Amino acid sequence: MSVRRRTLLKVIVLGESGVGKTSLMNQYVHKKFSQQYKATIGADFVTKELQIDDRLVTLQIWDTAGQERFQSLGVAFYRGADCCVLVYDVNVMKSFDTLDNWHEEFLKQASPADPRIFPFILLGNKIDIDGGNSRVVSEKKAKDWCASKGNIPYFETSAKEDINVDAAFLSIAKAALANEHEQDIYFQGIPEAVSESEQRGGCAC
Amino acid sequence: MAGIFLRKSADDDLHAFYPIRPECAADVPKARFRARAGKTLSPRKWQAAFSEDGHLDIAKVLRRIQKGGIHPSIKGLVWEFLLGCFDPDSTFDERTQLRQCRRQQYGRWKVECQNMVPIIGSGKIITAAIVSDDGQMLQDSSANNDSQDQDWHVNSAISDKKVLQWMLCLPQIGLDVVRTDRALVFYESEINQAKLWDVLAIYSWVDNDIGYVQGMNDIASPMIILLENEADAFWCFEHAMRRLRENFRCTTSSIGVQTQLSTLSQIIKTIDPKLHQHLEDLDGGEYLFAFRMLMVLFRREFSFVDALYLWELKQYGKFVRKNVKSGQSDKQSALSVFLVASVLETKNKKLLKEAKGLDDVVKILGDITGNLDAKKACNEALKIQKKYLSQELMGVAQCYHSADQFCTQIFGCAEQNCNS
Repeated sequence: MSVRRRTLLKVIVLGESGVGKTSLMNQYVHKKFSQQYKATIGADFVTKELQIDDRLVTLQIWDTAGQERFQSLGVAFYRGADCCVLVYDVNVMKSFDTLDNWHEEFLKQASPADPRIFPFILLGNKIDIDGGNSRVVSEKKAKDWCASKGNIPYFETSAKEDINVDAAFLSIAKAALANEHEQDIYFQGIPEAVSESEQRGGCAC
Repeated sequence: MAGIFLRKSADDDLHAFYPIRPECAADVPKARFRARAGKTLSPRKWQAAFSEDGHLDIAKVLRRIQKGGIHPSIKGLVWEFLLGCFDPDSTFDERTQLRQCRRQQYGRWKVECQNMVPIIGSGKIITAAIVSDDGQMLQDSSANNDSQDQDWHVNSAISDKKVLQWMLCLPQIGLDVVRTDRALVFYESEINQAKLWDVLAIYSWVDNDIGYVQGMNDIASPMIILLENEADAFWCFEHAMRRLRENFRCTTSSIGVQTQLSTLSQIIKTIDPKLHQHLEDLDGGEYLFAFRMLMVLFRREFSFVDALYLWELKQYGKFVRKNVKSGQSDKQSALSVFLVASVLETKNKKLLKEAKGLDDVVKILGDITGNLDAKKACNEALKIQKKYLSQELMGVAQCYHSADQFCTQIFGCAEQNCNS
């Protein structure tokens, strides 16, 4: 049995409906973009392994439903998060205006140990649309908002054209790692050989 | 040889009814349902189930459906009965009249909505906000409004709370419509997208208590595809929602479907205490991980055609259950809850052995997508229901002093079935 210690980082992606949360995650993890995504119901996650300096980390990225009415489910899904990614659509003012609410609700429901230092990241998505001509939220406006929330890192992205997606998620992983919430993941070479009690025993050490 | 030929033609048949865009074929669950000669309810068998004046032998039809589902060419017609739009005991004439009446009613509601938002019924949809949260009408900011907003009848601030709430949910409907079953060729057509948008927009106006909640699009979409007439599709959806609407009731602290999830947790606790304890230990209390399955009735876990088949089988299940009278209404939980229970049971070993956290539970349940057999799942659900009810009844029986009292409680009247 081979047991390795890895770091599992839980990341929650939040933002208004239709800003591209699912698309960003899929572009990052599966390197593809589809016009046929369905609206997310409940919550789902994807994982990606990456190396940061000399550490191997598993990024577990949770996708959520964007309709405000689903916010009450947050308590269950946000628990144990290491980083929160806020996403808005640079072409839709309302998706920017509601960031305050998402930010506040997350802190309220996830209740991290120290809300002041809990890592957030803001992504302004869909910068490709209409060559940028339909954008209604300026980079400056977004950066000002980030500054007002304690210098949240900001990235402008296009899930469709794969612009800045990797860079954004790398920064997310680093922020999460800094706020690390360590957890052991066990990889069993031969699962049959490992009894339940042995695994439990392993957990305790 | 003949068998192979039949099977192939049945596949072509399905593809002809619900074609999938070739570029999306790899992204959707594979269809398992096959229309089978002699098993599937065919147009001919359907016709034969009516008496001369139109009374429908629904028991016969349901037995057939249980064997092999409904042929795509008549699904819409049959669904109207399954969803309760029509009484099987009514006559052709009565139904024609009722249909006319309902179409007119829908027409009136549509006009009412059009008077407030003229885009309704225009073949276009709204995806961007038309009004601010405080009721100020917004200038056209989206490309798909064109110049329509000049005709808007409402151009002053919206003060009526009901109207405002409704207008605020319209863009959400639009955002979801453009993401509904887009793998199907059917929704390449803007007209069809607009049909779905209209039906959801008008429903959320009529049922403003519930309004619009994400997931209702997944429920309404099949009706739009199966019923050609928009008003008929609306009434099918409206009837489906009579049973489902409580799931979509949202407050600041909860969503209606959580009541069903709580029932699910009770069921698993009763029939499989070990699994229940394990899920509780993993912090999965009240079973939120099963949220999606119940909210959109397995639309995401099954292919389009298999989800339809599953819904059809459920109607049979309901029919069977009518013979199991518990006398206690809270025991009559939706069959969907037992379906989810059956799914959890199929994954019982894996969940017990491999799930070390809620994320594992979500992952294991996610893997069922495209891998479930609708009929098996339904049969299992009925078995679990039986098991659950009998265990519950045993529990109830212990609380009563005499058998008579027990029978009165269970069957509603003392003389019925007491001797057996």
